[in-house]
Amino acid sequence: MNSTARSTATLLSDTWWVAWREIKRFQRQKVRIVMILVQPFIWLALMGNMFERMAHVPGFPADSYLDYMAPGVVTMVTLFGGIFGGMSIVWDRRLGYLNKLLAAPIARSAVVSGKMLAVGLQTAMQVAIIFVIAMLMGVSFRTGPLGALMVILLAVLLSLVFAGISLSFSAVITSHEALMAVVNFMTMPLMFTSNAMMPLSFMPSWLQTIAKLNPLSYAINPMRSLFLTGWNVQELLTGVVVLALAGLALGLVATCLFRRSLA
Amino acid sequence: MGMDEQNGQPVISVTDLVKEYRGGVRAVDGVTFEVRRGENFGFLGPNGAGKTTTILTLITLLRPTSGRAVVCGHDVVAEPDRVRLRIGYVSQDIAVDDTLTGEENLYLQGRLYHLDRETIARRSREVLEMVDLTARARDLVMTYSGGMRKRLDIAGGLIHRPEVLFLDEPTLGLDVQTRRRIWDYIRLLREREGITVFMTTHYMEEADQLCDRIAIMDHGRIVAIGTPSELKAGIGGDLLTVDITTGRRGTRDGGVQPDGDGGLQDLLLTVPGIKQASRASDGRWVLVADRGEEAAPAVLEAVGRHGLRVNYLAMKKPTLDDVFLHYTGRQLREDEGQEDFSRRRTGLRRARM
Ligand SMILES: Nc1ncnc2c1ncn2[C@@H]1O[C@H](COP(=O)(O)OP(=O)(O)OP(=O)(O)O)[C@@H](O)[C@H]1O
Ligand SMILES: [Mg+2]
Repeated sequence: MNSTARSTATLLSDTWWVAWREIKRFQRQKVRIVMILVQPFIWLALMGNMFERMAHVPGFPADSYLDYMAPGVVTMVTLFGGIFGGMSIVWDRRLGYLNKLLAAPIARSAVVSGKMLAVGLQTAMQVAIIFVIAMLMGVSFRTGPLGALMVILLAVLLSLVFAGISLSFSAVITSHEALMAVVNFMTMPLMFTSNAMMPLSFMPSWLQTIAKLNPLSYAINPMRSLFLTGWNVQELLTGVVVLALAGLALGLVATCLFRRSLA
Repeated sequence: MGMDEQNGQPVISVTDLVKEYRGGVRAVDGVTFEVRRGENFGFLGPNGAGKTTTILTLITLLRPTSGRAVVCGHDVVAEPDRVRLRIGYVSQDIAVDDTLTGEENLYLQGRLYHLDRETIARRSREVLEMVDLTARARDLVMTYSGGMRKRLDIAGGLIHRPEVLFLDEPTLGLDVQTRRRIWDYIRLLREREGITVFMTTHYMEEADQLCDRIAIMDHGRIVAIGTPSELKAGIGGDLLTVDITTGRRGTRDGGVQPDGDGGLQDLLLTVPGIKQASRASDGRWVLVADRGEEAAPAVLEAVGRHGLRVNYLAMKKPTLDDVFLHYTGRQLREDEGQEDFSRRRTGLRRARM
């Protein structure tokens, strides 16, 4: 029992120090920080304006397209943050840093969990920023500060799912270019076959079927309720549990693939 | 090399180690050796010899296909965690994070080895001072030169006072001056910290200067192993090249001029220390002597005593290059790796933009 507790504590601290590096790196990359501030603004302003008239179509579930779009932007930013955060390990491999991490007496799973933690923290920060920007732009939000926390929680869990996916691919595919191709092949369809940008009822029926199965809906639907309609506890709970389990499972898959790639 | 009682224990012990990569490349093909405590042991071999593969196996990053390796008393397959706690590793690539400062790189490295903040601060000061980077510690590594990065990388490998430090090509692609400075640090390391060093290189001069013992590796096998002087002695001794004129002159103290080639060869072989004598195609004599600097005057003296004249005499200590040539039939090419390396680095830089 005692030794289990100790190794758990070690795993947690190893995870933190792997994440610490990512956080430091992040702080140093001014351009990245600027982009994080500018990007949601552009998305909201541009898309909100472009599709404004869609909100006047009968049956549209929100008063303004901007209101509808805000959770979509959160999802999109989360998706890309998660995917790219996981891919940083390919660079570490190329530059030899990965071997340095693996030669240290840290748990091998800490390399994966550390990257995931960094992604999660970054997502929390990004989504908080999107919130502020969205509020400044007059987006309405029904569920107050607690609801905002729930949106952040959902986003963080979703980012872990995608970090897990991209880490798993990174363990198997060692070329940056090939990995980019695979990731693009995956993310774009995921985004456009979801209801992030457009209500289900506006889609052709075959797309509706796909959109319902799309894992993104476990994040988007509860977020949208929190934004537009109010508390839907069951939907929220389902989303949190499914995403948390998926994130955990993918983290484990990534760790296993990673261990195997070393032998 | 004074190895006392406690020194001299094997810290690394490798038996019939084989590593075959997926796809069938047998990078390490059955190597056996031991490294003693406090020793500086070197793997010398050309590109692709299997040096890095051997290191990666010893530091538990690659699983051996067969054979056994014990590092600091622990089997690398059975107890990789225990091995990793006690070793330091500085890879062939310069693996420092250039978006962090020198100090932050060391801090992180210390944390990965479970050191506390105070220990890290103290050790950082020591290792930074040792590699002369104290003044630049707070600068981003992005602003460092290649040599400074390498020094920082080596400092990082020392932060936790490892028992054994693995250095993979510590001076690859560095200029001659920087290379010599790194040699000084490696020497200092042993004096100050008493660390066992396992290093690889394909620069024979580096192996010669730094290593107590060397294993010469080629195509995944160890073809020769020993101290630099043992290895050189293994090819016979020092090489003397002598050009002798058989002039018709009177001999001093009534000696008799030797009769023809056979006679001259017999004469040369009677000189103390000369082990072999043969006439090369250009007419010069090539002699192998235990200690060339003692044999050379003796040769001059003996030849003169028999009324012969020496026009030319040159002495050459065999280099590890000669040793490598002797065991593999090939020369170690010194320039190849450097070219490779700079190409690889610039490639990466470009890709990263
Ligand atoms: N990951 C890998 N997969 C397949 N083959 C590999 C791999 N890494 C190395 N090899 C092969 O194993 C052999 C030994 O490579 P290794 O890197 O150990 O050589 P080295 O002595 O370190 O060479 P260098 O001086 O160039 O660093 C080479 O033929 C190389 O092509
Ligand atoms: Mg190598």
